[in-house]
Amino acid sequence: MIQHFPVLSVMVLFFSAFLIEIVGKKEILRNVIAFLAVTASLVMLACLIPSVMIDGQVISYWMGGWAPESGYAIGIGYEVDSLSLLFALLGITAYWLSCVYSFGYMKGKQNLGHYYTLFLMLAGASVGFFLTGDIFNMFIMMEIVTFSAVALTAANTDKLTAIEGAFKYLVNCSIGSSMMLAGIALLYMNCHTLNLAQLSAILPGSFNSTTLLAFALILTGFCVESAMIPFHPSFVDAHTVAPSSVSMILSGMVLKLGVYGIIRLSYIIFRVIDTSAIQVMLTLIGTVTMFIGVTMALAQHDFKRLLAFHSVSQLGYIIAAAGLCTTLGLNASLYHAVNHTLFKGLLFLCAGAVIHSTGTSDLDSLGGLSKRMPKTCICFVIGAFSISGLPPFNGFVSKWMIYQAVYEKAMQTGNFFYVVVTVTALVVSVMTLASFVKVLHSVFFGQLRKEHEDVKEVSPIMLIPMGIMSFLCIFTGIFYREFDRVFINSAVTSAFDNIDYVDGMMGDGYSVTYGLAGLTGGNLEFSYWNPYVWLSLFLMVFAAAVLVTLIMGRTTGRTLESGEDYDSAYGTGDLSVDFRGQTHESGDPEEKYAVFFSGEKAEYSHAGGSDLFWGFKYNWHRYYEVLQGLHSGSVNDYSIYAVIMISMLCIFMYIFMR
Amino acid sequence: MILGNYIVSVFLIVLGLWTLCTQKNLIKVVLGLGIIDYGVNLLIVSAGFNEGGTAPIYNLAELARREAVFFVDPVPQALTLTSIVIGACVDAMALSIVIMIKKRYGTVDADEVRRLRG
Amino acid sequence: MKFKDRFREKHLVVKCGADMFLPFGLILGFYIIAFGTISPGGGFQGGVLVASTVLLLYLAYGFKVMAEAVKPEGLRKGEALGAIIYVLLGLMGIFAGANFCVNVIFDNGQVGDMISAGNITFMSYAVGFKVLTGIGFLLVLMLSLLAALDSERSGGDEKEVVENAGNDAAVSDASGEVAK
Repeated sequence: MIQHFPVLSVMVLFFSAFLIEIVGKKEILRNVIAFLAVTASLVMLACLIPSVMIDGQVISYWMGGWAPESGYAIGIGYEVDSLSLLFALLGITAYWLSCVYSFGYMKGKQNLGHYYTLFLMLAGASVGFFLTGDIFNMFIMMEIVTFSAVALTAANTDKLTAIEGAFKYLVNCSIGSSMMLAGIALLYMNCHTLNLAQLSAILPGSFNSTTLLAFALILTGFCVESAMIPFHPSFVDAHTVAPSSVSMILSGMVLKLGVYGIIRLSYIIFRVIDTSAIQVMLTLIGTVTMFIGVTMALAQHDFKRLLAFHSVSQLGYIIAAAGLCTTLGLNASLYHAVNHTLFKGLLFLCAGAVIHSTGTSDLDSLGGLSKRMPKTCICFVIGAFSISGLPPFNGFVSKWMIYQAVYEKAMQTGNFFYVVVTVTALVVSVMTLASFVKVLHSVFFGQLRKEHEDVKEVSPIMLIPMGIMSFLCIFTGIFYREFDRVFINSAVTSAFDNIDYVDGMMGDGYSVTYGLAGLTGGNLEFSYWNPYVWLSLFLMVFAAAVLVTLIMGRTTGRTLESGEDYDSAYGTGDLSVDFRGQTHESGDPEEKYAVFFSGEKAEYSHAGGSDLFWGFKYNWHRYYEVLQGLHSGSVNDYSIYAVIMISMLCIFMYIFMR
Repeated sequence: MILGNYIVSVFLIVLGLWTLCTQKNLIKVVLGLGIIDYGVNLLIVSAGFNEGGTAPIYNLAELARREAVFFVDPVPQALTLTSIVIGACVDAMALSIVIMIKKRYGTVDADEVRRLRG
Repeated sequence: MKFKDRFREKHLVVKCGADMFLPFGLILGFYIIAFGTISPGGGFQGGVLVASTVLLLYLAYGFKVMAEAVKPEGLRKGEALGAIIYVLLGLMGIFAGANFCVNVIFDNGQVGDMISAGNITFMSYAVGFKVLTGIGFLLVLMLSLLAALDSERSGGDEKEVVENAGNDAAVSDASGEVAK
C-alpha cells in the first residue's frame, strides 16, 4: 500500500481542487476540504520517511502498470528517492502553513473559490514535479505551476499593479518553459526515451552536439524557474504584488523547483557536474546573483520588494554551493534551501500581517509597530536574524557550511575564483544583515505614526503558522546534527551514489551493462562552533545590556510628536544659555545632559527606512544608476536579457564542452 | 529527417523571440509567445519521423494478418498534442490578462505599463 | 456597421447558414470524441469541435441568445465534474490492486468496436466532456468581456460574472486542461 502513496498524495490535491470548484461558494465546506487535502497529503508523504530516507530504498512506480520491456521504458514512472522526498516534504509543509495562513488573510475577499482551486492545483503540481521520474511530466507540472502562480498573482484585488506583475511573470516563465520543451525534443531525438533513469544510464556515453544543446536549453528552463540573474526582474515584480500567502509560496517553493531541476539535471541525468567548466559556470551564475540581489535590496522603498530581492540573493547562495560538486557543498546547498523556505516564508508572513493591519507596505510611512503588534515583531526578529546568519538560528548553520565548502574547494583546486566566491559570500551576508537592520528600524522600531495609532495584532489563525515557522527556525538551528543526519545526508548520498536510482526503475543490473559509477565527492564531516556556546554567550551579553540599562536609567525628557510646538509641550519655561542653577519645568532634559544638544530643542524626526545607509548608496550611486536603469519594468527589456543569457549559455556549452 | 522542418522551426522560434524583444503593443507580445510555441511544436513532431513509415494506427486488416508494420513514432505526436493544448491555454490566459490591463491602466503600450521598476 | 449593431441578430442568410451547419458540427465533434481510441482524434480534438458550435451560435444570433442557450454556471460545474470522473477512473486501478490508471475493464469487445479499450475509453470521454465544457465556458467568458464594453445593450448578469472572475476562471480552466 505504501507504494501508492506518492501518486495518491498528488491526486488527492488535484481531486480536492476540482471538488472546491463545484462547491465554491460555501465557505466552511471549502475551507474544510482544502485543509483536509493538504493534511492528508502531508501525512502520506511523512509515512514515506522511514523507508526512503532512513533505509535508503527507492520507491519506483509505473503508471498503468507498464513496466519496461527489453530495456526500454515505455510508461510514465514516479520515482521517489531521498532528494525528491526532501523537497516534496518541504513543499507540502510550506503549503500547509500557507493554507492555514490564508484562511485568515483572505477572509472577506471575493472569489475565494477560485483562489483555493488554484492554490491546491499549485500544491499538487509542485509535489508532482518533485516525485516524478519522467522528464516530460516534469515539464507539464512546471507549466501547471506557472499558470496557477500567474493567476494567483493577478488575483490580488488590493493592488492596482498586480496585473502588470502577473503579465511579466507569465512572459518570462513562458520563455523558459518553451526553451525547456525544445531541449526535451532534442533529447528525445537522440535517446528515444523520456524516462529519467534510462536517460541517466544512456547519456554519459553519447555526448554529441545535440545532447549538449539539449542540456543548455533545459538548464536555461530551470535557471528561469529559479530566478537566476538576468531572469530575476519579473520574479521580483510578481513576489511584490501577490497576496502574502501566495508570495510565501512563490518565494519559498516555486523557486525550489528550479533548484531541484538543476541538481537533478547536472548530478543525475547528464552527470556533467564533475567537469570543472560546469562547476565554474554554475558557481559564477550563483555568485553574481547573490551580489546583485543584495545590492538592489539595499535601495528599495517597498517592504515586499526588498524581501523579494533577498530571495534572489539567497537563491544565488544555493546554486553557488550546489555547483561545487563536493558532498559538503551539496549538503550546504540543500540545508540552505530548507532554511530559506522556513525563514523567508516567515518574513513574508510577517509582511503580510503588517499589510493586513496597516494597509500599506511602504517603508517610509511605517514605523514603531512593535508596540501594537508584539508577536509579529518577535517573529520578524527571529526571521531577520536567521537570514543574516546569526548564531542560535538556522541561517548560521547553513551559511557556515557554505563558507566552509567554498573555502575547502578553493584549497583543494587552488583556483582563485573560489577565493573570490568565499569573500563575496561573506560580504553579501554582512549586507543582508545591514538591510534587515534597516527594515527592522523603519517598520518595527522607531516611532509610531499617528495614522497607525489603532492597528491591532492580527488574528490567531494568522499567528499560528508564524509561530510554527519560528519554532522550526530555532529547532533546526539548535538540533542541527539530528536534522542533518536524517534528512539532508540521505539526500546528498542519493544524489552522489545514484546507481540505485537507475536500478530501481529499470531492474537490477541495468546500470552494470552501461558501466555506470557514482560520483565521488569527499567526506561529509564539517565542524563549527557549538551553538550552545554561542547561545549562552548571546544570553550573557543580552543580560549585561539589560542590567546596564536598568542601572543607568533613561534620560528624562520626551520628544515631540509631529506637529507639536515646543512651547506648548514644555510650557513657557525658557531654556536660557545659563544652565547652572536654573529650575527646570518637568519634562525638560536634565541639565547635565544639555551640553550634548548644546541647548537645542528636541524635535520629532522620523528617519524613513530609505534614509538609512544613505552614505553607502551615495558612494555607489553610479553603480545604482546603471542597475536601476536596467530594471526598467518593460517586458521587452526583460526579454532581451533572457535572450542574451540563453545564447550565452548555448555558446558556453559549445566552447567548453567539446 | 526532414531538414526543411527543422529550419522552419528554428526560424519560428527566433521570430517569436524577436517579437517579444521589440514589439511594444502587448497583444503583439502575446502573439510572439504563441509563435515560439508553434515553432517548438513543429520541432517535436518532426523528431519522430521515420522515412517510409505510415500513421501509427493498426487497422483490422493488418491485425488479422499479424504482420509487423513500419510506423512513425507515436510518442512525439502525443507530446505535440499536449503542447498544443498548453500553448492554447497560455494564449487564452495572457489575452485575458491583457484585457484586464487595458481596463485598469487604459493602455496596452509596454512603455506605459511600467509602474513596477527600480 | 455600428458598434451596437454587433449584438443584434444578424441577416437571414447568416442565420440559415448557421442553422444548417450547427448539427453537422455537433455530430462531427461527438463522433471524434466517441471513436477516439480507434481512429485519429480523441478527447481534446472532439471537445474543441463541439465548443466551436458555441461560437457559431454567437456569430448568427448574437450574445443574448447564446448566453441563454449555454448556461455558464452549468458549464463550470460540468468541467469540474469531468475532471473528477477522470481521477476516479484512474483510482479504480488502485482499488483493484494494481497501479494508478491500470485497465480493469476487460472483455469488452473486439478490436474496432467503439468501447473496446477498457478504462481508457471512459477516461477519453471524461476528457472530452471536460474540454467541451471548459472551452465553451472560455468562449462565453471572452465574448462577454466584449459585450461588457458596450454597457447598455449587453447581458447584464454576464458582465458581473466576468468582471469579478475574469482571469481566475480562465486560468483554472486552462490549468485543469493541461493537467490532463
